Amino acid sequence: MRTHRLSVVLGSSLIALGLVACGAGSGGSGGNGKSIQIWEGYTADEAKAFAHLVSEYEKQNPGQTVTSLYVDNDDSLTKVLTAVRGGSVPDIAYLYGSWAPNVAQIPQVVTLNSVVKQPSVNWNDFWVGERDVATVNGRVIGIPALVDNLAVVYNKTLFTQAGLQLPGPGWTWPQFVADAKKLTDTAKKQYGTAYVTPGNEDTVWHWEALLWEAGGKILSADNKKAAFDSAAGLRSLTTLASMAVTDHSMYLDPTDSAYANLFNSGKIGMLVTGPWDLSSFPSVDYGVQIMPSFPGSAGGHQTISGPDNWVIFNNGSARTAAAEKFLLWLTAPAQVTYFSLHTGDLPIRASVANATGFYQSMNKALPGVGTFINNLGNVRQARPQIPTYPKISTVLGNMVVSVLLGKSQPAAALASAAQQVNQILANPNP
Amino acid sequence: MAAPTAPVRRRRLSSAAAARARVARSEHFTGWAFVTPGVVIILLFGAVPVIWSAVMSFQQSNLLSPSTPYVGLRNYRAMVHDPVVAQAVGHTLVYTALFVPGTMIAGLFLAVAMNRKIRFISFYRTAAYATMAISTISEALVFIWLFDPSYGVVNYLFSLVGVPQQQFLNSPSEALYVIVVMTIWGWTGFAVVIYLAALQGIPQPLIDAAATDGATRWQTFRRVTLPLLSPASLFLAVWLTINALQLFDEVYLSTQGGPLNSTSVLVYYLYEQAFQNFNFGYASAIAYFLFLIILVVTAIQFRVGRRFTYYRS
Repeated sequence: MRTHRLSVVLGSSLIALGLVACGAGSGGSGGNGKSIQIWEGYTADEAKAFAHLVSEYEKQNPGQTVTSLYVDNDDSLTKVLTAVRGGSVPDIAYLYGSWAPNVAQIPQVVTLNSVVKQPSVNWNDFWVGERDVATVNGRVIGIPALVDNLAVVYNKTLFTQAGLQLPGPGWTWPQFVADAKKLTDTAKKQYGTAYVTPGNEDTVWHWEALLWEAGGKILSADNKKAAFDSAAGLRSLTTLASMAVTDHSMYLDPTDSAYANLFNSGKIGMLVTGPWDLSSFPSVDYGVQIMPSFPGSAGGHQTISGPDNWVIFNNGSARTAAAEKFLLWLTAPAQVTYFSLHTGDLPIRASVANATGFYQSMNKALPGVGTFINNLGNVRQARPQIPTYPKISTVLGNMVVSVLLGKSQPAAALASAAQQVNQILANPNP
Repeated sequence: MAAPTAPVRRRRLSSAAAARARVARSEHFTGWAFVTPGVVIILLFGAVPVIWSAVMSFQQSNLLSPSTPYVGLRNYRAMVHDPVVAQAVGHTLVYTALFVPGTMIAGLFLAVAMNRKIRFISFYRTAAYATMAISTISEALVFIWLFDPSYGVVNYLFSLVGVPQQQFLNSPSEALYVIVVMTIWGWTGFAVVIYLAALQGIPQPLIDAAATDGATRWQTFRRVTLPLLSPASLFLAVWLTINALQLFDEVYLSTQGGPLNSTSVLVYYLYEQAFQNFNFGYASAIAYFLFLIILVVTAIQFRVGRRFTYYRS
């Protein structure tokens, strides 16, 4: 009996010790800043390049260790929230930009205004779209981690077969619609273009770029009222509806998973998509062109960007300082250049994009990515930086999908969505 | 006479009782000591979230900011006025009403077909159960392609027999049924295994006796086999219903609740509220509402099921 009791006691204390160790190992506040922890969701080339940069940093700063932990990007905020509750928050986490207004409400998030004001940081070298997403109501809560944008990837072979001219930089949406119609061949099950219709943010941001190009706004300047129920809103939605409903030249992908394979199989002529998809098109001779414009619109050629942030959490001043130092080094031009060249990710700094030879090296590694780099200059606006944006996005997603499926007319869909958005803005809680 | 001996006997009794109690106590103690780590872990990861979410359902909480004001029944009241909740309840019930009988009938059919000695029978049985071993993500991807409106096999087969082309996952009136088919396919293997085991427990003399009495094969199945399978049927009905009411994976992987909320079921909607809109209080209230639905439906099933269930003992 005694030995049994002893083993139970031993067992329980081992478990208790284990729990304590878990608590201490993965974070917790305090410490002298000699060791910091970072949560990131890099895989493949990105993981390799990031690991190289971390070891480089440790070499340059003897005595400093940076532990990185892989956390799937989609789950990172949930895990950060759990860690905040458990008192074991990491020093730095990679978080989606769309979460920024909500992330700003976490008390442990470190304000970085004074950090990015240092002249050595050259804050304005980060693209305006990135800085907008890193800032919530004037408070800087993150350092840009990634930038992308939307442009048109087209199948050169299909264009030639249809006897069409390849898209030029000055092209317009009416041209896009006409090309899509000519590229459509029902017998071959070939579509002019595609649109993702799960009704989520992926559905929404494709349309938002069109809205801006047509000269429209999502919300009023004070973020208090819907502003998209306008002539520009109607023009953007009608353009999409003419392809999806009238011409049937648009393949609708409700699962967000089929369009890339179909484009790579030569079944789709043009795709509005981002640089991350380029490596999925090895079988197609493709070209990339910036988004078309609306003739006569002051909006001109624009695009939309979905930047992500590195966010610092407060684990005591020493560790915060160490985390800031590491992030500023990681996002300095030399490291940005290295990371972009080794991953194909767009450079998060303008000076890197404009450096001699950079564009050529990038385009050689990943054909077409150069157009996306140049297109960063067309990112002129950001989505509303308010905590209710996810709810607004749901309404907008349903609006776009209902029009594309031919379930409602653009004008009626806009009016109904605007009414729902105004309600959310007036009454944010359920 | 009794008086003098009684204390002695009582003492002897009590000392024996005390010894037994000591043994029992120490056994109790050891028993509890052994299960304590398990109990602690279950309480920590089971009971604490259950209680915490109950508390949260009366709060306005986004889990981000430390302020979580108590809002009484507001989350529950909001649910009543939320049209998507009403839709989600409807979709969940329609889905359950189709999925549970569908899976049970398909499972029973296959189990009966495979409950015999034929060549390659273990291969067939393994194949039937393999659907359970396939990950939901692969299952969803395969079905997305099967039901693709332009390139899918199903529409191709429809075109061969002259059925008009369908929009499937692109159609708000069809998407939920595609998910029903997808999940029935995924769960049939489970029903097959349960029914096969139950079929093999049916005593052959009963079947033989029915045959001797002149029952046809259908009569034997209807009057002998089916009643003897009723405990398995009740188990499957309850188990599949609880799973159906908690449908999430297939929706998340294929339609994300769309198009136009037509496949938004309760668990998917509460996920959206919690992890996309950061309304953890509201999501907790929906979770408790779902718990109530499951409780009521299961209670009804047991009550009704008892009347039709035949336990041999």
